[in-house]
Amino acid sequence: MENYIEKIQIRKSNKLAGLYPSTKALIVLMYAVCTFIVNTIEVTDIGLPLFLIPQFLVILILCKASGVLGRCIKALNTVAVVALIILLVQTFLVPGGDLIWRFGILRIYERGLRTAVSLSFLIMNIAGIFVWLFQTTENKEISRALEDSGMNYKAAYVFTSTLQMIEILGRNSKTIMNAQKARGVETEGNLIVRAKAFFPSLVPLILGAVISSEERVLTLEARGFTMQGPKTHLFELKKSGWEGKAAAASVLITVLLLAGRIMLWLL
Amino acid sequence: MAVVIECKDVTYYYPLTEKPAVEDLNLKIESGKFYGVVGENGAGKTTFCALLRGFAPGFYKGELKGEVLVEGKKTIEYGGELSAKIGYVFQNPFTQISGVKDTVFEEVAYGLENFGVPVEEIERRVIEVMKMTDIEALAEKNPFDLSGGQMQRVALASVIVLEPDILIIDEPTSQLDPEGTESVFRIIKALKDRKKTIILVEHKIDLIAEYADEVLVFEKGHLIKSGDKEKILSDISLLDRGVSLPQVAILGAKLKEKGFPLRKIPVTEDQAVRMIRESLKEGKQDA
Ligand SMILES: Nc1ncnc2c1ncn2[C@@H]1O[C@H](COP(=O)(O)OP(=O)(O)OP(=O)(O)O)[C@@H](O)[C@H]1O
Ligand SMILES: [Mg+2]
Repeated sequence: MENYIEKIQIRKSNKLAGLYPSTKALIVLMYAVCTFIVNTIEVTDIGLPLFLIPQFLVILILCKASGVLGRCIKALNTVAVVALIILLVQTFLVPGGDLIWRFGILRIYERGLRTAVSLSFLIMNIAGIFVWLFQTTENKEISRALEDSGMNYKAAYVFTSTLQMIEILGRNSKTIMNAQKARGVETEGNLIVRAKAFFPSLVPLILGAVISSEERVLTLEARGFTMQGPKTHLFELKKSGWEGKAAAASVLITVLLLAGRIMLWLL
Repeated sequence: MAVVIECKDVTYYYPLTEKPAVEDLNLKIESGKFYGVVGENGAGKTTFCALLRGFAPGFYKGELKGEVLVEGKKTIEYGGELSAKIGYVFQNPFTQISGVKDTVFEEVAYGLENFGVPVEEIERRVIEVMKMTDIEALAEKNPFDLSGGQMQRVALASVIVLEPDILIIDEPTSQLDPEGTESVFRIIKALKDRKKTIILVEHKIDLIAEYADEVLVFEKGHLIKSGDKEKILSDISLLDRGVSLPQVAILGAKLKEKGFPLRKIPVTEDQAVRMIRESLKEGKQDA
């Protein structure tokens, strides 16, 4: 006989990837705090927070150590593209301070460069740590952890089903796009053509989601969603054993960094 | 037989509507019987089901006159525990996916998790039901990746696994091919053999004739006929009111009209064959 219960469990041999979701959340939080501290360390004549750039190596190392570097690269690429766009836009568009460089109509001012570097690398680092979190954690681990943390089961449902829905909507929007194309609506071409095709395609998508969510409430009701009493969970959330160490390390690093930063101010 | 659900002078309006979707309904549903519900589109069949389960007015709101009693207690007085008594399979299979599970196995198990059934028992019951509904091969697929017919079976399995005493099933075969339809009826028959009370909305009248005990005919919100299937389905006058009748009943009526000596109008194929054979034999003896 097939052992289905065993099959739905998630077993990770990697101790970092297998950390309990709440520990991962702590790491993400500490990393964000560290990022903001590093952002205050300004170097060079015009005060750029350049240490944010090497800090990004930590993300890569963390992904590598968790055995998910391959999967993370794609998402990190997207993050990098967004960061680059922000970097360019901010660099050239924000005026203020001394003029550092000019070429034709392009001008770079001191303030522009500073906000550009700060903002884009803050985003790189913070989005990066979330990429790590979501690439090492599956939806059902998160929702199970939320329920265990005492979150109301209804709120946990909303969270889980939203994660699922995002996936499904993505898939449906492709189907609807294809249907629009079949009806002769132009879905390829320049931005304006595509925007014109895009918004009508959202109507069936959103209406469909609204209508089916109303009926889904009844489906849940029929499956005992509002039944009083304890629920069973077929999926067991496991700890990897490194939770204590990982939490201690992330807090310690943050405290040391903060101490170092304060020292720098005082000196 | 014991009455499990009773409708007393039930009239129901959906919110903001002036015409009732169901009007002056009086009916007793008896334990262990299989009821076939028929009627044209918009006749109120789904509304009737929603009333029995308390979704109307509990979820749809609107206005209910009269009362619907499940085991003697009004539906509006029940909380979540009605889901353990009455299983409900909806008309639209696409909205019957919980949306939180990523395999069919977990989807079918979801209700039992909510009921707090122990893990080993869940596994045993889910596997048994997946075998019964012939979806074991889909066990590890994502429920959103199924065809309409497969979803319909998964939806049926997800409700059967809860082992309710009463099952309300709204057009479970709309997405199924003839073979799938037959197999769903065989499943329902097996449930009936386990003494479940079954209320089934279905347009495929030949199958109702074959499997149901009683037939309820709806027309424009009214229950116009109810009773033993042989009595209802051999009532040829229903044809004029837009109710479809079994092919063999129509054949029987036509034969009778033409002077063929049939004892009564058959409603299933077996009956028809038997009756026509008997008549032919008698005819020969007379001659
Ligand atoms: N949610 C609703 N709000 C308002 N009116 C509704 C609602 N659902 C159904 N109705 C109306 O109630 C009447 C009965 O509908 P119902 O869905 O019960 O018919 P049905 O017999 O199940 O039809 P079908 O064979 O198409 O499933 C129809 O006139 C319909 O327009
Ligand atoms: Mg209906």
